[in-house]
Amino acid sequence: MVTQSPPADGDRYVAAHSSAEFQTLRRRSQAFLLWASVVFFGWWFTGSALATFAPDFFRREVGGPVNLGLLFVLLSFVLVVTLSGLYLRYARTRLDPLGEQVRAGLEAGPDVGPKGETR
Amino acid sequence: MTVLADPPPPVDNTWAAPAVAVPATLAIAVVVFLLVRAVRGGIRDQGDFLLAGRRIGPGQNALALAAAPLMYSTLFIITGHVALSGYDAVLLLTSFTMSMMLGVLLFASHMRNLGATTLGDVFAMRARERPARIAASVVTLTIYAMFTVITLAAIAFILNRWFGLDSLVGLAGSVLVVGLVTVLYVYMGGMPGVTRLLTFKAVVALGVVAMLTTLVLVKFDFNLVRLLDTAEARSAPQGDYDLLGPGRLFGEGSDRWVHLSKLFCVVVGVAAIPFLFMRNFAVTNGPDARRSAGWAAMIVVAVYACMAVVGLGSVAVLGRENIGVIKAHRDISLPKLADELGGPLMVGALGAVAVLTVAGVFAALLINAVTCVTRDVNALRGRRPAPGRELADVRRNVMIVGIVSVVGGVAMLPVRTHIFIPTSIDVAGATILPVVVYALFWRRFNTAGLKWAVYGGLASTMFMVVFSNGMSGAEDAIFAGSDFKFIDIEPGLISVPLAFLLGFLGTVLSGERDDAAFAEIQVRSLTGAVVPARRGASVGAVLDVGGNGRDVNRGDGNGRDGDGRANRTTSEAR
Repeated sequence: MVTQSPPADGDRYVAAHSSAEFQTLRRRSQAFLLWASVVFFGWWFTGSALATFAPDFFRREVGGPVNLGLLFVLLSFVLVVTLSGLYLRYARTRLDPLGEQVRAGLEAGPDVGPKGETR
Repeated sequence: MTVLADPPPPVDNTWAAPAVAVPATLAIAVVVFLLVRAVRGGIRDQGDFLLAGRRIGPGQNALALAAAPLMYSTLFIITGHVALSGYDAVLLLTSFTMSMMLGVLLFASHMRNLGATTLGDVFAMRARERPARIAASVVTLTIYAMFTVITLAAIAFILNRWFGLDSLVGLAGSVLVVGLVTVLYVYMGGMPGVTRLLTFKAVVALGVVAMLTTLVLVKFDFNLVRLLDTAEARSAPQGDYDLLGPGRLFGEGSDRWVHLSKLFCVVVGVAAIPFLFMRNFAVTNGPDARRSAGWAAMIVVAVYACMAVVGLGSVAVLGRENIGVIKAHRDISLPKLADELGGPLMVGALGAVAVLTVAGVFAALLINAVTCVTRDVNALRGRRPAPGRELADVRRNVMIVGIVSVVGGVAMLPVRTHIFIPTSIDVAGATILPVVVYALFWRRFNTAGLKWAVYGGLASTMFMVVFSNGMSGAEDAIFAGSDFKFIDIEPGLISVPLAFLLGFLGTVLSGERDDAAFAEIQVRSLTGAVVPARRGASVGAVLDVGGNGRDVNRGDGNGRDGDGRANRTTSEAR
């Protein structure tokens, strides 16, 4: 397939993509996704591996019938709720207003497009 | 017939209460009929029928999204699984709640913002349209076929366990009726109707879960510690493995890898299953889609935390001999518990709810397949309905796909198809997940990468499934008589990373590169902006359902026609 290049008159998405506002939005969004994924998958796969290959660790009792394994399940539930809540709040306050700004600039038309260079 | 050929020990169904269950099911069917019929008048075009005009609010979608994956196996059998296998089963149940996270973080707002109608629309944003739509259709319809077969089989299981029906003809006839009634719901109400059905299912299922949990806890004076102690004491001894510690099911040798692979596959695959994935498209806007996915995750956590309590509670209440004591009998534990807690009245009511949950899954599957056929497949065939015939066209597709599915599902009843559920999850994780990740975040990604990821992920999963214990070498395999199995683990543990690797290789080995498409998908996925641009001809055509203007949609949803038509004009003008 032939390499495609953006047309000379400038694709408006490309222009928006290189705008400072969008780059901030993109950096914030991807930074959150990255650390959230690391925490989330790190937690789950560490726990899964412990349950699978170090069962004695998870059998350790922490009080009454409750062992570390059950505590891990409980904390996993808490993690899902907490991480969802944090992401919803982060997105509402830090992502959506910026996204709205970029979108409004884009949809208003080429004349009032977002500040930024066309590549 | 699987449900009739119960392996020993014999199951003596002493609890079924058809005299309650049948009227309760009919009552639920009538309620759903009225709910679905009420939205029929609001359906004016294909956008209304397939995506509810993107007017579904975050609260309703959260309920529907949380309810959609609650089926017979994940809501009803799971308690028996927990009662029998203890901690290992609890961990599997937890992985279903963890699986919602990928939907919240990666899929919900990004996919809604793209303004797509089908998986093919998403795939086509970073690849040439034709191969993208072919790949998306192959994935969607493969998963649809497998999931539908097991969903319809689940109806037979319910009728056998909860209604006491055990003649093959009776089961086949009943599955046919339930299946066709569900097709009728979808025919009438389209996506708005399916959403209503799922919302109703969510409310009923949540009520049932809350009631069961309360009744179990009442037995132990709301003392969870006493419940756990009793469950441990009354469960069957099994070597060193007690009920609340890991290892009861997967404690030895290579079984441990099986366990790990299952925990992995559920987490990466479930949220990508197309009929769940597409629910994101129907929400009012990107932020609402994100909210609804987040709330759905919280609802699912609550449901599964309760189901773990009910599962452990059932062995605590019933004792080791009275639960299902082998894997194939896990589904008798919950009806027995219901019988113990509330007698025939509760068994009958729960049987009816079980039918509702499965019918809801089938309806969600069917609207997904119809969307794929109406948009992706017809675009590939160059078919366009005559003007004014769009609704008739999509309803005809519901009839064709629905009836073929129900008849095919009934014909497949005698086959042991339980392997189809994990396989569907693996396929979703090994095809849709890598494509979405690369499409959103990798500038270089292209058509070849998409093809390699999708077909490589699909083929490697299927190859391993053929040689897994679902096909042969096990009592409950499709070919139980033969043994050509050499794969024990859940294939996704290998095929998901492999699909990522193949997607990478395919991309870098191809010269195709489209930086503008990357800029477009990034801007659109984060902002929801839609402007006529370079790719108006291919991707603009995709936008004609409901448009994507957020302000316009927010509130009354009336503006969507203007926005949608504008895009359609752009695309048709070319």
